[in-house]
Amino acid sequence: PEAGRAPGPPDGGWGWVVVFGAFVSIGFAYAFPKGLAIFFKEIQDFFGTSYSEIAWVSSIMLATTYGAGPISSILVNRYGSRPVVMFGGLLCGVGMISAAFCTSILQLYICVGFITGFGLALNLQPSVIIIGKYFLKRRPIANGLAMAGSPVMLCTLAPLNQFLFDNFGWRGSFLILGAILLNCCVAGALFRPIGPGTALVKTQVAEGGKDALKGKITEDGKEMSSALNIPTENKTEEEGEKDCFEKINQYLDFSLFKHRGFLIYLIGNVLMFLGFFAPIVFLAPYAKHTGIDEYSAAFLLSILAIVDMVARPTTGIVANSKWVRPRIQYFFSFAIAFNGACHLLCPLASSYTGLVVYSAFFGLAFGMVCAMLFETLMDLVGAARFTSAVGLVTIAECCTILLGPPIGGILIDTFGDYKYMFIKCGAVMVLAGTFLFIMNYYNYRMLAKEEKERKTKEEDPKSVRTENEGRKNWNKDSTQDGPELEPLREEGERVKKEMNGT
Amino acid sequence: LIIGASAAALQKNVSVGNPTKVELTCKLDEHFDLKNPQVTWKRGSETISHTSKTQNSWTIQLTISESSQLGSYSCILKGEVEIIATFHLQVPEIEGKDRPIITYEGDLAVMVCKTEYAPMAWTWYMSNGTELVAIDTSSHTDKFRLKRQAANINRLEILKLTKKDIGVYWCEAAFRLGSSKKSFELRVLSIIAPLKPFVAVVAEVTILVTTIALYEVYSKRKEGEREFDQIEQL
Repeated sequence: PEAGRAPGPPDGGWGWVVVFGAFVSIGFAYAFPKGLAIFFKEIQDFFGTSYSEIAWVSSIMLATTYGAGPISSILVNRYGSRPVVMFGGLLCGVGMISAAFCTSILQLYICVGFITGFGLALNLQPSVIIIGKYFLKRRPIANGLAMAGSPVMLCTLAPLNQFLFDNFGWRGSFLILGAILLNCCVAGALFRPIGPGTALVKTQVAEGGKDALKGKITEDGKEMSSALNIPTENKTEEEGEKDCFEKINQYLDFSLFKHRGFLIYLIGNVLMFLGFFAPIVFLAPYAKHTGIDEYSAAFLLSILAIVDMVARPTTGIVANSKWVRPRIQYFFSFAIAFNGACHLLCPLASSYTGLVVYSAFFGLAFGMVCAMLFETLMDLVGAARFTSAVGLVTIAECCTILLGPPIGGILIDTFGDYKYMFIKCGAVMVLAGTFLFIMNYYNYRMLAKEEKERKTKEEDPKSVRTENEGRKNWNKDSTQDGPELEPLREEGERVKKEMNGT
Repeated sequence: LIIGASAAALQKNVSVGNPTKVELTCKLDEHFDLKNPQVTWKRGSETISHTSKTQNSWTIQLTISESSQLGSYSCILKGEVEIIATFHLQVPEIEGKDRPIITYEGDLAVMVCKTEYAPMAWTWYMSNGTELVAIDTSSHTDKFRLKRQAANINRLEILKLTKKDIGVYWCEAAFRLGSSKKSFELRVLSIIAPLKPFVAVVAEVTILVTTIALYEVYSKRKEGEREFDQIEQL
């Protein structure tokens, strides 16, 4: 039937509003833990604890934000992005407000670490997921813009936190920050549900008098689901068997572990995160170690953030171009290796100018990687399974993210020199980049092979026809330019591949 | 102290808490060729004779046993240009927070003083106008608490704060050769102070969420009408 043809993601319109919401939400999720560092010295004095005990607050927060990824995914699969983000915003607010009244460091671990961390997790995942639902053709740009939220928020939060601290002390600041975090609810309110699966939500929101019409839309929604091969179709098809494993699988797609592209991404990224964050953590201390004063050292981080801010949307635009988009995985691997190369060269920069150059290149590389972090995962597994994929990936990354800076710290303490930390980070990232490059080359070839096999099957004119019509039409819409020339066709196949989630 | 090629005023602070022997050395950087300079060590107008000397370094040894011996000691190199490097011998300074301490009524305030070497005694004072009144921590244990985190770190906790506690507090570290002081400004705010921006932000959030929700209902209604018309036409 005609209405059964998937209209495809809007790629614009309200989508840009959603990008803004994701910008805010992602910004808070990444920048807030870093911004809190300003308060730590004061809190350390107040409770009379050691530095490492305070650092645990940050670690718990980070661990919860990444570790709660699967829970976030399950909730989004079940309820959609909007309620999850709004609840997350509420949780963050409650966490920080209660933190303002804490009387011991343990209570801070719970309020700031767990509660706020969990709220941020509920913010981060759904924001990234909903971009995949609203965009396809322009998705890299949307991703790049949304991820730019992180450096922008950091640049805003850092002076804001300082201002709040100077005027209200740490308790008052936490109270006000709790209110500021409630803005995540505003961002969440913008995440209007869209897409086939959520047509069901439409019926619930429907206002009287048009139920018949709405009913038709839901039916179409279900047909669209089957055309797109989304896990939610399990619900409508097999009503009978509902054993535990299938139930879990419908909320969190564990079959992803058999997905070649997913596994490649997982291994490469887990490896990469071992060396990703440590250089940022130690940049300012390293600068001070080489004799640079505190303000200039802080300025290095500002340079990093500003370059990062510009690099992310720019990378999005570049990744969206018709030359890069089909080979986006290569671009991603290159960005990671570039990052690694920067770190390896850093020990050679001994003067302040050298460090400024390093910070600028680091900002560029960091922004490039971050902008494409989720885009490449979406590209590999498809927007439908992305929800579960992102949850599984973040919990795996959680371990290496937490291990990275402490390992760097141990290297610095053992050798008394920062250069081994930079060498370790650089080496790990170059390795990760090379691994991803090689494995993705292999993956692209396998995909091309599978596509050829499918083409021969498609000659068969059976019920498969309507499905393919739908796919082909979507395919047509999504190729960058009009006419389907031979070279563009291949690119179109690839885009089709990612949509079907092979 | 190593002297470079610049003629800028060179200073170094040396912390001396208790009577001890101090060795001060002025060393000329090898790149700087000041042919056969004349070196004198001076304190004020008084000249001190060298204790030892090499080709490019000049040392004096001092025994500091009383506070009057503290001060600035300079080594003057006279050659083509004159270079002066000064050592300031002084009692160890106290490290602490320079910014005002902001706390709330009913909460507790913490002031921490840290020195390089452990002093003989720590004393805390409260500013009463221009006078400094010593704080008796042993008798007011429900109000003040003193904690020695280490020999060179001292910590004062003021409990159950009220607006009357606003003011300047001093911590003094007493050494044999003198004492050093540090001041802390304590500000006590009422809970209302942060509540104002808090309520403002919460109001902003509520207004925005409501506006977005209303806009969505409005646009859905319009969309529904439009679809209805389309179906009618079919």
